[in-house]
Amino acid sequence: MAEQKKVRLVIERQDGPNDKPYEQAFEVDYRPGLNIVAALMEIQKNPVTVDGKKVAPVVWECNCLEKVCGACMMVINGKARQACCSLVDNLEQPIHLAPARTFPVIRDLLIDRSVMFESLKRIHGWIEVDGTWDVKDAPIQNPHTAETAYEISHCMTCGCCLEACPNVGPQSDFIGPSPTVQAYLFNLHPLGKFDAPTRLNALMEKGGITSCGNSQNCVEACPKNIKLTTYLAQLNRDVNKQALKNIFNK
Amino acid sequence: MFHTTFYLRRLHSLVGLLVLGIVLFEHIFTNSMALGGAPALNGALAMMELIPKPIFLGLEVFGIAIPLLFHAIYGVYIALQANNNPGRYGYIRNWQFALQRWTAWFLVVFLVWHVFYLRVFTKGISGTPISYELLQSYFVGHPVYALLYILGMFAAIFHFCNGITTFCMTWGIAKGPRIQNVISLCSMGLCALLCLVTLVFMGSYFVM
Repeated sequence: MAEQKKVRLVIERQDGPNDKPYEQAFEVDYRPGLNIVAALMEIQKNPVTVDGKKVAPVVWECNCLEKVCGACMMVINGKARQACCSLVDNLEQPIHLAPARTFPVIRDLLIDRSVMFESLKRIHGWIEVDGTWDVKDAPIQNPHTAETAYEISHCMTCGCCLEACPNVGPQSDFIGPSPTVQAYLFNLHPLGKFDAPTRLNALMEKGGITSCGNSQNCVEACPKNIKLTTYLAQLNRDVNKQALKNIFNK
Repeated sequence: MFHTTFYLRRLHSLVGLLVLGIVLFEHIFTNSMALGGAPALNGALAMMELIPKPIFLGLEVFGIAIPLLFHAIYGVYIALQANNNPGRYGYIRNWQFALQRWTAWFLVVFLVWHVFYLRVFTKGISGTPISYELLQSYFVGHPVYALLYILGMFAAIFHFCNGITTFCMTWGIAKGPRIQNVISLCSMGLCALLCLVTLVFMGSYFVM
């Protein structure tokens, strides 16, 4: 029988939010189509390092396993990605896993992404419903606009773009590409557009769209191929117009 | 709500491209006169002396000093918000983003030296007029200074040209990736051209 091929993973671990990070290496059996989530599950079954030390199993987050929920985002070989769709065959070994340190780390690869939810609240990331009654002859969505809205609605708040963006992190108050571009999604909606000035004014606040430095890492990192830089430029246009209204309409 | 951050950021962008861009072009234009030797450069400098003193000083203070100080101080604040990561994300635009900040740090130090030595000390305090002969003896006598000036010019030229690209993004002028690439290529072409011009006029001090 041929010798079993092994996959080596070097994982940056951390026992608690305020603990010092450290590295541990693990080996799991190779099998065709193995992805990072499956490899982490193998480690969970038998959490023994390459030095033969039995350790606490590695903590991470995952849910849908098909690149829809965004929960398993982590830094794989230096880049922010979804662990579920990162195939071992396509990665250079040893595979380095690290938590996305743009967010507060809770434990190992598990991070607290609630800041994105707060940012969505800040940009008025919802549509006001005018009442509980039926809306007769509801406004229709332009089919071309709908295509763009559909694309942006794929955003799963995974945080890849925030991790890749040099302007997001503890050193800055930038809310990041994803929540910023969500403002455009809701501005495109036939009912949502009534609150466009509220959203644009929120984006003009400290940490809003003006903190974008055009590194354009976000559009490269987005696992859903959302044209983030295009919509950021559109929003820049929109906030400039809003600023002119703010100055000259009063 | 008064959006202070928004207006400061937009002012920073405008001042950099329009005001400091003109200052940079004026420097390249006047200094390239060195190619015509001492008569040409000294003639260009004499032309500037024709501007009445109070107007010239006003231009220096309101057209250069204040915009430059604002752009530099607010720029340092912006640069401190970035955690440059081209090592991990080695895309061209991310390298340009990092270079925009690295050239900025270099320029802050370079411009303090340049302005204080040539404008404040040489021209202002000791009253020596700037001339071709002065610059030639300065650069040929200290090739390290010539090198630092060339690097300072390269940094300023890159910072300005990359600034054209980001200006078009920040103001929502160039929206899609195609036009953004075209503008980026054009401004990098301008960057290469202006760097070449700088090399030629700086080199002319050594051969003439």
